[in-house]
Amino acid sequence: MVRKIFLMFLFLLCVAALALPKEKLVIAGRDGGYGAALQIAVDLFMERNPDVEIELLKLPYKGLYEKLVIDLSAGGGAYDIVMLDDPWATEFMSLGWLAPLEELGYTPDPDFVPTALSVCRYPYPDGTLYALPHVGNVELFAYRKDLFAKYGLASPPKTWADVLEAAAVISANEPGVYGVVFRGRKGNPIVTGFLPILWGFGADIVKDGEVVLNSKEAVAALKFFLLLKQYAPEGVEIWNSSEVKEALLAGDAAIAIEVWPAWVPDLDNPEKSKVVGKVEIAPAPGLVEKSSPMLGAWLLGISSASRNKELALEFLKFVTSAEIQKVLTLKAGHAPTRVSVLTDPEVVAKYRWFPSQLAALEAAVPRPRVLVWSEIEGILGEYLQLALIGELSPEKALAEAAGRIAEVLGD
Amino acid sequence: MNIWRATRLAKRALFWAVLLSVMVFVLFPIYWMLTTSFKEPLEYATRTPSWFPHRITFQHYREIWKEGAYRYFINTVLVSLGSTLLSLGIAFPAAYGLARFRFPAKLDLIFLLWVLLVRMAPPVVLAIPLYTTLQGLGLLNKLTGLVIAYQVYTLPYSIWMLLRFVRDVPIEVEEAAAIDGASRLRTLVAIVLPLVGPGLVATAIFAVIMTWNEFIYALLFLRRPEVFTLPIHISHFITEYEVLWGPLMAIGITSSLPILILSGYVQKHLLRGFAISFK
Amino acid sequence: MRALGRWGRRHANLLFLLPALILIVFLTVYPLVRVFYLSLYRYNPIRRIERFVGLGNYRRLFADRFFLTGLRNTFLFSVGATLIEVLLGLGLALLFNAKFRGRKLLLPLVIFPMMFSTMVICAIWRSMYHYDYGIFNYALRTAGFQPVKWLISQDLALWSVMLVDIWQWTPMAFLILLAGLQSIPGELYEAARVDGATGARLFRHVTLPLLRNHIFLALLLRSIDTFKIFDKVYALTGGGPGTATETISFYIYREGFRYFNMGRASAAAVVMFLAVSVVSFIYIRQVWRGEG
Repeated sequence: MVRKIFLMFLFLLCVAALALPKEKLVIAGRDGGYGAALQIAVDLFMERNPDVEIELLKLPYKGLYEKLVIDLSAGGGAYDIVMLDDPWATEFMSLGWLAPLEELGYTPDPDFVPTALSVCRYPYPDGTLYALPHVGNVELFAYRKDLFAKYGLASPPKTWADVLEAAAVISANEPGVYGVVFRGRKGNPIVTGFLPILWGFGADIVKDGEVVLNSKEAVAALKFFLLLKQYAPEGVEIWNSSEVKEALLAGDAAIAIEVWPAWVPDLDNPEKSKVVGKVEIAPAPGLVEKSSPMLGAWLLGISSASRNKELALEFLKFVTSAEIQKVLTLKAGHAPTRVSVLTDPEVVAKYRWFPSQLAALEAAVPRPRVLVWSEIEGILGEYLQLALIGELSPEKALAEAAGRIAEVLGD
Repeated sequence: MNIWRATRLAKRALFWAVLLSVMVFVLFPIYWMLTTSFKEPLEYATRTPSWFPHRITFQHYREIWKEGAYRYFINTVLVSLGSTLLSLGIAFPAAYGLARFRFPAKLDLIFLLWVLLVRMAPPVVLAIPLYTTLQGLGLLNKLTGLVIAYQVYTLPYSIWMLLRFVRDVPIEVEEAAAIDGASRLRTLVAIVLPLVGPGLVATAIFAVIMTWNEFIYALLFLRRPEVFTLPIHISHFITEYEVLWGPLMAIGITSSLPILILSGYVQKHLLRGFAISFK
Repeated sequence: MRALGRWGRRHANLLFLLPALILIVFLTVYPLVRVFYLSLYRYNPIRRIERFVGLGNYRRLFADRFFLTGLRNTFLFSVGATLIEVLLGLGLALLFNAKFRGRKLLLPLVIFPMMFSTMVICAIWRSMYHYDYGIFNYALRTAGFQPVKWLISQDLALWSVMLVDIWQWTPMAFLILLAGLQSIPGELYEAARVDGATGARLFRHVTLPLLRNHIFLALLLRSIDTFKIFDKVYALTGGGPGTATETISFYIYREGFRYFNMGRASAAAVVMFLAVSVVSFIYIRQVWRGEG
């Protein structure tokens, strides 16, 4: 520990001695559409602040968590600003890896959708503010309204039972169209695919720090998931977002139980989509519980080890401002986190499902606020898949998973 | 006579048939890579894949060039050559020492065993302690740091390969030199080195291939784009929501081009290297 | 100065070895000792958990279905891939040991696969394996066959991953064995032929014994690399479906770098070590006996 501090001190001295002429920020961001949107903001910021240089790293989701954790936990300071998935927030914030924003002189804006802002706080939901909501991702439900109309199905489906029925009918009558598609790949994908169903059935993973996965409701939800699988394509157990997206764009899927604002705009893009205007976006159905769409927000926080916290905060304020969010939304299909942007007439005219998105965002349920989420997700992802491929019965899979999650929580 | 000719003909036909199927198996994925890199995006994302690109496009190559792939290329060359040279420079004397000297307390045996264990250990295992070590030395995010880390792969391999080559040098040659009054170092440079030449080249080639494509350490130890190597850059074309097939294949082809062009040379030297290694 | 020179001569052995010794100790001894040490702890550097658990990690490993399947798969993969690669490599080497037109041109082409980046290779194979859009299943369907669940089926996935490894690394075994074949002096064959040996007998009694060392080298190098199998699993299947392609390296990566349970990951690494040490001992004995 002493050595570490000494080295850090030495490092700081070196940096001070070098005294860079230009102020520089490094952002660890996401690739794909997220990266493109953030790049626009970065370019605008540099245009307005010519003496600032910002480097945006566009990192793929796979491996991002590991990278951030390794750097932040060692106080490496490779990044000034990090973009984090909301379920990681508890870990990042409680371990002191992010700088508290109010101490830097920031006052939060009431325009942010409350659910998205509350995951930026630790303790959840009204503790210290450590990050700002950047991407207002919320799980949405997509279905082909043309096919639903053709077979006289409840549109939008209100409950998971309606979904199963619709998938069965369409699978039976539309050759070449999968009744339902979802992400079945083990780990994060299958968990995000399954959680809305789990919640819809009134079950949960962790409640008040205790595992509650081994319940009747959870088993019912998993059994339902298996029923749904009958109408899913061959190989759905290795599907991830890209497969779901491709199938939907190609018109090969009637229902996708889990789609994300980040790529929903492509569905109406005639260059990529064969189903322009045919896909309806709705909040996830409920069953026992009311609709429980999952929150999947991406937050921007400042690394505690950053040497440019004030500048970083300036950028954070800039990129989450209503003005810039609107630009990013219109230009790059960004999912905003501000009510004013989500209801902006110009924006809604371009993205017809935004009212649904706002409703879903306001009703969104975050994943459990626990320190060890990524391990819990990993464990659950393994066992859900063993159930999905029929290697374990739903009861046994959930019981074993619950046992291992309890062990993790007990540490 | 006729039967004899017929069987010979059949044998020839069989030979060529086998050869042909082998070549198809070997080359088809590469062919697929190549054609995909020239296809337009709409063409590779369909249910009925096409065997040839309908319209050849260079857009993917232009795109990767525009994104500055050459920077990663330069980094990769530096890291790859750097770690290979460092490895050879250290492994050659070590191999010589192990082949020609006695060591107290079986130090040589223990050392070789340890080296072999390292060669077999999954690189993942060493990653965390290495990370803290490199960080302590301020070598994280530096190509030098990666060159040092890559010694975990290349050094054990080089020591073992070179050990075999040095053992093949007849000791009489050295004894003759010693009688002529040459010092040990001189013998090493003037006599042993040229004799081990092909072995050094073979070892170097393999070390280059190994480091050129290394992924895990580069993934963990390099965080800033200015120091990324090609495999890391390549992995960024597989995004969460889509795989950018065209650019991915284009960069895949381009990044392997230098080694591919050298393929004939590489094959010749590896062949020679492996040949003397066990005589 | 002179004393130093004398010392240098007396300890020349150490001087030659020293640079390598220092680097190896620096890069591996400390980390590896730490791995052994950590395997006795419940240790998570991120969550700052550190407590001694004795052999608890090991007991837990051998009760963990993922680790056990990983162990089984790793052995299966390593043995399967190594044998097939060396066997195919031998066949190829025999093929290319013959003289035929175009040999010079084809030889470099055969070793192309091992020079591509594994990430690219995996991407292209994944696209070819795709159940709906892949070229393999397209070809099968057009020819009137059932499509194959390459990476989807639990029974097939490991073999599909293996096929990629075979494609990429058979050339390596091939090169080693071709080198061996070429180093067999022609006179030996002449002599055997004079004694009336032909075809298969020639191969069994002349070629194989002389090729023994090269076959051994090929087996060794390939088994070492296949035993570590990580990047192909990472890029092709993520260990799935289910536990079908779970391997020890992947298990270590996940426990160590996703969950940061370094104690448990270290214990798995130690188990892997012990397994490979057995192979190294066999090899070392062979080398020492063979070369004195």
